[in-house]
Amino acid sequence: MTATIVAQQIINGVVLGSLYVLVALGLTLIYGVLVQINFAHADFVTLGAFAAYFFMHLLGGSYLASIAVALLVGALLGVAINLAIFAPLRHKGSELLPLIATIGVSTMMQNAMLAVFGPVPYAFETPYSQRVFRVAGTFFTEQSVIIVLVSIATIALLYAFMKFTFLGKALRAVAQDRETAGLMGINPNYLIMLTIVLSSALAGMAGAMLAPVLVLTPFAGTSVIVKAFAIVIIGGFGNVEGTILAGLLVGLIESFTTQYLDPGLIDIVVFGLLLLMLVFRPTGLISERREENV
Amino acid sequence: MPHLSWHDCRVDIFVVTVGLGDKIAEEWEPLRKQRFILAVSALSLIATVAFSDANAQDKTIKIGALFPMSGPGAYFGAQDKQGVELALEQVNKEGVNGYKFTIQYEDSACAPLPASQAAKRLLDQYKPDVIIGEECSDATLAIMPIIAQAKVPLLNAGSSSIKITEPGNPYTFRILPDEVMQGVDLATQAYNKLNARTAVLLYENTNSGIGNAKVFKDTFEKLGGKIIADIGFGRDVNDFTAIATRVAGAGKADVIPTYTLEGQGLKITQALAQAGVTKGGGGSAIQLGTIWLPFGFEQKAGKAAEGYVRIVQFDPTDTRPVVKNFISAFKAKFNADPTHLNAHAYDQIMLIADAVKRGAKDAQSMRDTLAATKDFQGVTGSVEFNKHNQNIKMDTIHYMRTEPDLSWTALKWN
Repeated sequence: MTATIVAQQIINGVVLGSLYVLVALGLTLIYGVLVQINFAHADFVTLGAFAAYFFMHLLGGSYLASIAVALLVGALLGVAINLAIFAPLRHKGSELLPLIATIGVSTMMQNAMLAVFGPVPYAFETPYSQRVFRVAGTFFTEQSVIIVLVSIATIALLYAFMKFTFLGKALRAVAQDRETAGLMGINPNYLIMLTIVLSSALAGMAGAMLAPVLVLTPFAGTSVIVKAFAIVIIGGFGNVEGTILAGLLVGLIESFTTQYLDPGLIDIVVFGLLLLMLVFRPTGLISERREENV
Repeated sequence: MPHLSWHDCRVDIFVVTVGLGDKIAEEWEPLRKQRFILAVSALSLIATVAFSDANAQDKTIKIGALFPMSGPGAYFGAQDKQGVELALEQVNKEGVNGYKFTIQYEDSACAPLPASQAAKRLLDQYKPDVIIGEECSDATLAIMPIIAQAKVPLLNAGSSSIKITEPGNPYTFRILPDEVMQGVDLATQAYNKLNARTAVLLYENTNSGIGNAKVFKDTFEKLGGKIIADIGFGRDVNDFTAIATRVAGAGKADVIPTYTLEGQGLKITQALAQAGVTKGGGGSAIQLGTIWLPFGFEQKAGKAAEGYVRIVQFDPTDTRPVVKNFISAFKAKFNADPTHLNAHAYDQIMLIADAVKRGAKDAQSMRDTLAATKDFQGVTGSVEFNKHNQNIKMDTIHYMRTEPDLSWTALKWN
């Protein structure tokens, strides 16, 4: 019985951790390249969730296609936010202004979604969320399998993009030294746009993955974003590999704290770990120089 | 018609009289005397009409509403507002004792800090005669002292914490059964009617969640039942699979009393079914709930909700005329079936109108008249306040069971 429970909580932790990784990846990418924090990231996640929901329920699309729709909506939102906020404010040379602007965007988006979608929680059911597999005393839904597979695929694609493509290498160059990269013929503005679009697209997709799991309201993203920030810090600011490890770790901590301690203590344990990391290992789980994070 | 006050009217009459007096002194002629008297009479009449109109305009009961309109409890505010609007439309059609009712809403967000700020804003700027709200106990507990200090009555219909009325304060009234009334009854019915002997408690870590769970535990154990797991969690928990795993591993539970808002409630119900614990997932446990969840919950939760037994504050199968009229008026206005939130917001306004009918005209008389309420017939049940301003009527507790087709069966246990 105990072994079954442990196995079950490992499954639960990995699924939850995969979701956290999807949300945190966008945050860590934007920080790694631009050294900027996007406080509206949670709301991009929420909008992606609603995009997937309405694609399925109004247009009759499939869930798997709705993931692509949410990704696209996120990407378009990224283009709009960059053109309207990041690019103009970057030209003013202040790092604080875009940060404050993202807080404004977050509040604006939450209230706009509240006005449009209303406050009543939506039930986002997919054909996969109620199909339960029972294996050796453990259980998991088809939805959980999709979450883990999509997370693995996203991580692999992102990793391949960064390591093996010209654009990925150029992004890493901009992350290391924006000015020198510009002197080498790389257009930093184009790559900054690319980063924001990638990050927003990831947020949108994370929304489609999270929507069947979390309570879908205009404030849905905010309930996971604090954990995502914690994961980014625990993993090492802007470090992709660290973020993946930290996401899974936080998912497992949540599951085992729920089982053996108390779910009410989850935040104490997670944020206690965050404080310990900041004190004893401020560079994160995978230590490397910030310039080389992405 | 511009709004005139007593003071404005007196000044108008004075100016008219003085102006005419000067005219008399200068141009006194016997032939004009008759015309003058007519003119004065006409002006007096106009002034009287203007004055009585101003007086009628002044006969307004100002209602402040503190509802959550943002955050996880925002669905409360949206549905409360519908109930309020329907009731106001009805009572303002002809007025009550010459009084009309106006309302101002503030977003209290189901949390202590925004609720306190909203209450202060309402009291400072709107100066209401009575306030309705909040829904969440933590928020209600935070606004109670602020509103009591302003000596304005607060009429609550959605917060169940016992701390609201015990020891309470003279300005806070509650029409729904408190957590003790609900919890004692729920535990007793579970033990006697469902033959439950083991239970797992699931609740959010708030005053209300903890309080409700504790009352159930105390009563259930006193009756001879056993609590095999006691699990509280924060409002930020999204994925309940880990909690469902723990419940599944805790042993055979006959009932699972659950105290959460709608969103988390949905996820818990689905996770418990996926873990094979509850009837909806092929298990034997029956999930129990109180008035926290709105109508339509079962349709959202789907098959996982099968067998769920919960207290609702409003029984749509109730055949009393007041209920039938409310349902038809609500459907006509909103083209939807009313929820218990619509119903209790409607009752709050109707109780205020009833108090005005019994003589309430300002904050203090509203408080005194509300305190004297006996056998008010609302759509959620009847109302009679005890010395702590808690409604003592148990006919506001209605039990419903979710059937496999997701319809309800009224259990008529009370």
